[in-house]
Amino acid sequence: MSLKMLLRGTTSAPLPTSLHLRTATTSRHHHPHSLSITASSASSSSSSSATFPATTLSISDAELESWGFALHRDPASLDLDRLNAVFVAVGFPRRDPGKIRVALEHTDALVWVQHRRTEKPVAFARATGDGVFNAIIWDVVVDPSFQGIGLGKAVMERLVGDLLDRGIGNIALYSEPRVLGFYRPLGFVADPDGIRGMVYSRKQKKKK
Amino acid sequence: MLAHNLVAPASSSAPPSPFAFDRRRRRQPPNHPLFPDASPSGLAGVFAASRRFKVFPLKASFWETIRSGLLKDSATQIVDPPTIPEEEEEILPQEFLLFEKTLPDGSLEQIIFSSGGDVDVYDLQALCDKVGWPRRPLSKLAAALKNSYIVATLHSVRNSPGSVLLYLQKLPTDESAQTKLIGMARATSDHAFNATIWDVLVDPSYQGQGLGKTLVENLIRTLLQRDIGNISLFADSKVVEFYRNLGFEADPEGIKGMFWYPKY
Repeated sequence: MSLKMLLRGTTSAPLPTSLHLRTATTSRHHHPHSLSITASSASSSSSSSATFPATTLSISDAELESWGFALHRDPASLDLDRLNAVFVAVGFPRRDPGKIRVALEHTDALVWVQHRRTEKPVAFARATGDGVFNAIIWDVVVDPSFQGIGLGKAVMERLVGDLLDRGIGNIALYSEPRVLGFYRPLGFVADPDGIRGMVYSRKQKKKK
Repeated sequence: MLAHNLVAPASSSAPPSPFAFDRRRRRQPPNHPLFPDASPSGLAGVFAASRRFKVFPLKASFWETIRSGLLKDSATQIVDPPTIPEEEEEILPQEFLLFEKTLPDGSLEQIIFSSGGDVDVYDLQALCDKVGWPRRPLSKLAAALKNSYIVATLHSVRNSPGSVLLYLQKLPTDESAQTKLIGMARATSDHAFNATIWDVLVDPSYQGQGLGKTLVENLIRTLLQRDIGNISLFADSKVVEFYRNLGFEADPEGIKGMFWYPKY
């Protein structure tokens, strides 16, 4: 395929690298089914948060509290070394805490669960983006000792809800194959309309 | 535009162009009989070597072109876009010339890349219109740009016929230069680990020349030089190959891009 075609494709197929999902009523896309993928943001003047159904919580804040957990939405009391330990425990690389701090300072939204008795962070998820159109969720982790009781779901539902409340309609993430089943019930769809997640790799680059 | 910035003294009261080249990154031009008015001190202010940046190699060939363009009656002068070196050793200037050509009417058109993010939101709106994207509220567009880690742009700068020599003699400014936004790509990031590229667009009348490729390549270089280790994007199926050729891998290790939308 020539580059010319590709770039023409870029213009005629709206926003290949910026996908804006919107509900059916105001869609101009040719897609027949109701969940049309269009090029525009959901945040046109009248249709911001009204278009999105409220996400219901599987576990309420009160329930989490009664189980001995505290919910947080800011990194103020987050112990970065302990967060790093959770990352390592689930198989992420250990990261420079200084860099983690920078990343958190430039994070649009985050939700984390603290185990009250030990004060440890046991579940975490954050989102970056442009604050109006797009958000990407990163670093969704649950301490292995606390997995299986719904904490991952708890942070995800709240994070998505917070983003939707701000009118951010395009919420994306990258999922390892083995946890696709975790994200699907939360409302996430892989490769919608053939859109592919791509990552840059220097060794992948073809030489001309 | 490049030329007039070069010869303007540091204390010039000329209004800054929307994306003024950083004059400190210029290289001293070779001594040349056509630049008799360029005083050494004036140029020294412009070509201060106070920064640690190495000069982008394009500058040498650009000056060669300028000289030969003035010495003889040149027809169309096209400088081939430089191949981007495999090893990113040189620090990328925030703004640099990609290539230039002399148009049939004798004017000079320069294509400038910038990662400085100085975008007029109205120009961007007009560009989005040109490529056929639905309208987004201007205030949100402005906010999205502001909240983006890097906004990379391509601008076309046209100097009217016969004005190149005038610029070198430091006549004022932009009356005879037209600047046009012809491409944009932006990346959001947490400034530490991850960046995601959005909204890559090139003016349809400038497509087919490799500008989209150059735009994304230089955005990537900018990100890499800021130590962002993970650069991602979401590609429409039609452009997956385009990005693959730029070094992107779809579904690496089976990792899938997923999007949230409500089920009705």
